[in-house]
Amino acid sequence: MTQGHPRAAVSGLASCHTCGKVSPVSLGNCPRCGSHLHLRKSNSIQRTVALMVAAVALYIPANVLPIMSSLELGIYTENTIVSGLLTFWKKGDYPIALVIFTASILIPLLKIVALSWLCLAANGKLHPSPSRLAKIYWFTELLGRWSMVDIFVVGILVALVQLGNYMTITPGAGALAFGGVVVLTMFAAMSFDPRLLWDQLEALEPHHSPLKTKDS
Amino acid sequence: MSDPKFSPSAAEVPEYRAAQRWNIVWVVPILALLVGAWMIYQKFTANGPVANVRFATAEGIAAKQTEVRCRSVRVGVVRDVKLDEDLKSVVTNLELNPDYESLLREGTRFWVVRARLSGTEVSGLGTLIAGTYIELDPGPKDGKRVDHFDGLETPPATNRDIPGRRLVLTTDQAGSLAAGSPVYYRGFEVGRVENRKLNPEGTLVTYDAFIREEYSGLVKKNTRFWNTSGIDITAGASGFKVRTPSIQAMISGGVTFGVPEGIEAGEVVADGASFRLFGNEDEAEDSTFNPTMKLVLLFDQSVRGLSKAAPVEYRGIPIGRVADISFDYQNAQNDSRIPVLIEIDPAILRRESAMGISQTDLDCLTEAVKRGLRSALKTGSLLTGALYVDLDFYKDVQPAELFKTGDYESIPTVSSGFAQLEAKLTAILDKIGALPLDDTLKKFGTVADEVAHTAADSRRTLVEIEETAASARKLIDSPEFAALPSSIKSALASVEKSVSSVGPDGAIQGDLLRTLDELRAALRAVTAMTTAIDEKPNSLLFGRDTSGNPIPKAPKLGR
Repeated sequence: MTQGHPRAAVSGLASCHTCGKVSPVSLGNCPRCGSHLHLRKSNSIQRTVALMVAAVALYIPANVLPIMSSLELGIYTENTIVSGLLTFWKKGDYPIALVIFTASILIPLLKIVALSWLCLAANGKLHPSPSRLAKIYWFTELLGRWSMVDIFVVGILVALVQLGNYMTITPGAGALAFGGVVVLTMFAAMSFDPRLLWDQLEALEPHHSPLKTKDS
Repeated sequence: MSDPKFSPSAAEVPEYRAAQRWNIVWVVPILALLVGAWMIYQKFTANGPVANVRFATAEGIAAKQTEVRCRSVRVGVVRDVKLDEDLKSVVTNLELNPDYESLLREGTRFWVVRARLSGTEVSGLGTLIAGTYIELDPGPKDGKRVDHFDGLETPPATNRDIPGRRLVLTTDQAGSLAAGSPVYYRGFEVGRVENRKLNPEGTLVTYDAFIREEYSGLVKKNTRFWNTSGIDITAGASGFKVRTPSIQAMISGGVTFGVPEGIEAGEVVADGASFRLFGNEDEAEDSTFNPTMKLVLLFDQSVRGLSKAAPVEYRGIPIGRVADISFDYQNAQNDSRIPVLIEIDPAILRRESAMGISQTDLDCLTEAVKRGLRSALKTGSLLTGALYVDLDFYKDVQPAELFKTGDYESIPTVSSGFAQLEAKLTAILDKIGALPLDDTLKKFGTVADEVAHTAADSRRTLVEIEETAASARKLIDSPEFAALPSSIKSALASVEKSVSSVGPDGAIQGDLLRTLDELRAALRAVTAMTTAIDEKPNSLLFGRDTSGNPIPKAPKLGR
C-alpha cells in the first residue's frame, strides 16, 4: 500500500471490460454501463490453454491434408503446406519458400510456443525476468497479424483461378484446418490476460519495483 | 498464494483464482481434436476401393495425376504405377471414389484414352491438352467384385451398355478389317467391328461386331456377312469383276451383311450369335449352294485354267462347282488322266424333287450317261483362259456308262471345246509340217534349170540355122545359082521366111520368155506362203486376221 504504486487489484478496483471505467470490484456491476466487473479476465489461462490445445489439434491436419488442389491442363495436383514449400525450394525460389515457411509454419508454431510459455509464466510455473516476459508478450501480439498469409493466398487463388479444365484451384481440407489454427491462436492470444503475468511478479516480489529486483 | 499482509481485500484476490475451475471452453479443443482426427481419418483411411489394372505400357499415365473416368466423370485416380514382376507390363493401382466401388466388377473394362488418329476415327484430342486418362467401362450389373483387371490396349468401339446386338464373326483372313470398321446393311452403316482376335491355333480370326439397337432386327438366322474391304477384282470363268465399296470402307475395311436371294431369312438372332465372314459377296451368295453329290471326272487333257470353285454347268446352268483337283482320287498309278472332284447340287437340276434321296439322283445320272451325257472342260473366258466343267449330251460319242473311281462315281469325259479344237489344229499343223515342201522346191529348181538349158540349146540351133541361111543366101546369090529357075527362088524365099520366125523377134522365143515369167511368179508365191506358215502356223485355217471372239457369259448361281 505504501511502497511503489498501488495496484488496482490490490485496492479492490477493477476496470470495466466494456467501458473501461475503474470502479470497486465489490460493486459487482459497472456503475456506468452495468457490465459485470472482474479484476482479471475470467478463466483467462484455462481458456487460452484450451484454445491452444484446439489449435495444436488442428495444426496436424492443417499440415497433413492438402491445403490447395489445382487442376492444371487436366493434371490434378494436391499440395500440402510442406509440399508446396518444398516445390518452391526445389525450384530455387528461396525467398518465396522462406515466406511460406515463415508465415505458414514458423509463425503459428512460435505463437503456440510463446503463448504456452506465457501461460506457464502466468500460472507461476516459470519465473522469467520481467523484461523477457514483456518481449515475448509483445512478440506474440506482433505475430498474430501475419499468420493468415496462407489462407489469404489460397482465398485469392480460389476466387481468381477458375478457368474450367485449363486451370482451376480449389481449397483443400488443410486450408480449413489451417484457418482454424490461425483463428484459434488469435482467440487464445485475445483471451490471455497479460496482467496475470505482472500479478505473478508482484506476488513474488511485493516490496520492490517489478523491473528491479530478483531475490529469493 | 498472494501474501495476505499486502492484500487488504484478501477475499477478493482469490476470487479470480477460484473462478478457474473447469470451463465450457474445453469443448473447443475437444471439438477441434474430433474435427482434426476426422479429417485425417477421411484422408487416409476412408480411401476408396482399390483396383490393379495391367497395361502394356504406362505411356502418359502418371501416379496421383491420371484420372479414372467413366463417361467423362471422374471416378478415381491412379495411385501408383509399377512395373510388373516379369517386366513385360505395368500394373497401375487405381483408387476409386468410395461411391463408385460397385464399378469394380467382373467384366469391367479399362483402357487408356489418348489422342488417336486413324482412318476411321479421330478421338481423344482433348487428351493432347488435358493429358491422358483411364476410361472405365462398367461390366454387367450383377458381376462379382473383382480388383484385378487387364486393361485394353485399344478402346472398344462401343460401350457395353449401349444397347444393340453383339455378334461374333469368324473368318480365316483378316484383310484390312480392323476394330472400328463399319458394318453396312445395303450400304447403310448400322454398326461397327469392335475388335479382332486370332485364335490361339492361328487358324481363325474372330471379330466382335456390334449392330445398333434400331438395326439389330436385321440380323437373321440365315444372314450372310461378307467383307467389303478394299477393291475386289476377280477374274474367273465368268469374266472380270471389279467391286469398290465406299471410300471409307476401302481405307478401313468394312463388313456388309444381307440375306442371299432365294433363301428364307429365318428368325432374328440373339446376342453373341456366331457367323462366318465370307471373303466377298460371291462367296456369301455361293454359300447357299448345297452340294450333295460328289463326282470325280477324269480328264485326258491339261486342266490349266481350271481352279477350285470353278463352275460346273449343265448346258449353261450352274449346278455345282469344282471341289478339288488332285491325283489323290485316282485309282491306278499309271493313269495319266487328271481327276477333278466336282460337287453338284442335284436339287438345282430337279427342283421339284429336291427332297428325293441321292440314290434316285444317281439312277437319273446313270440313265443320262447312257443317253450320251458327258463332261468336258470348256473355256469360260478367252481373256483369262479360265476353264469350267460342262455337262452336256453328245450324239456321236461311243456309248459308255457311269463308272466308279475310288469312292466316287465318274461321268465319262470328252475332249471338247477349245481343247478339242486345239487338238485338231495341232493335227492339221502336223500334217502341214510333214509335207515334202523342200523336195518340191528342189524339183521346181531343176525344172527351171532344164528350161534354161532348153532355151540355150534352141538359141544355138537358131544361130546354126542363121549360118545355114547365110550360106544358102551366098549360094543363092552365086552366079551359078542364079541360073536356077525362079520357082526354086521363090521356094527358098518362103523357107527364109519360115526360118526368120524362129529368130530373136520370132513368136516361139516370145512364148518361151512368157513361160519363164510365169515360173518366176509361181516361185514367189510359194516363198510368201512358206513365210506366212512360218510366222503363224494356224493362218492356213484362220487366215491372217482373226475376228473378235464372242465371250459367253455364265448365268448366276442358285436362282
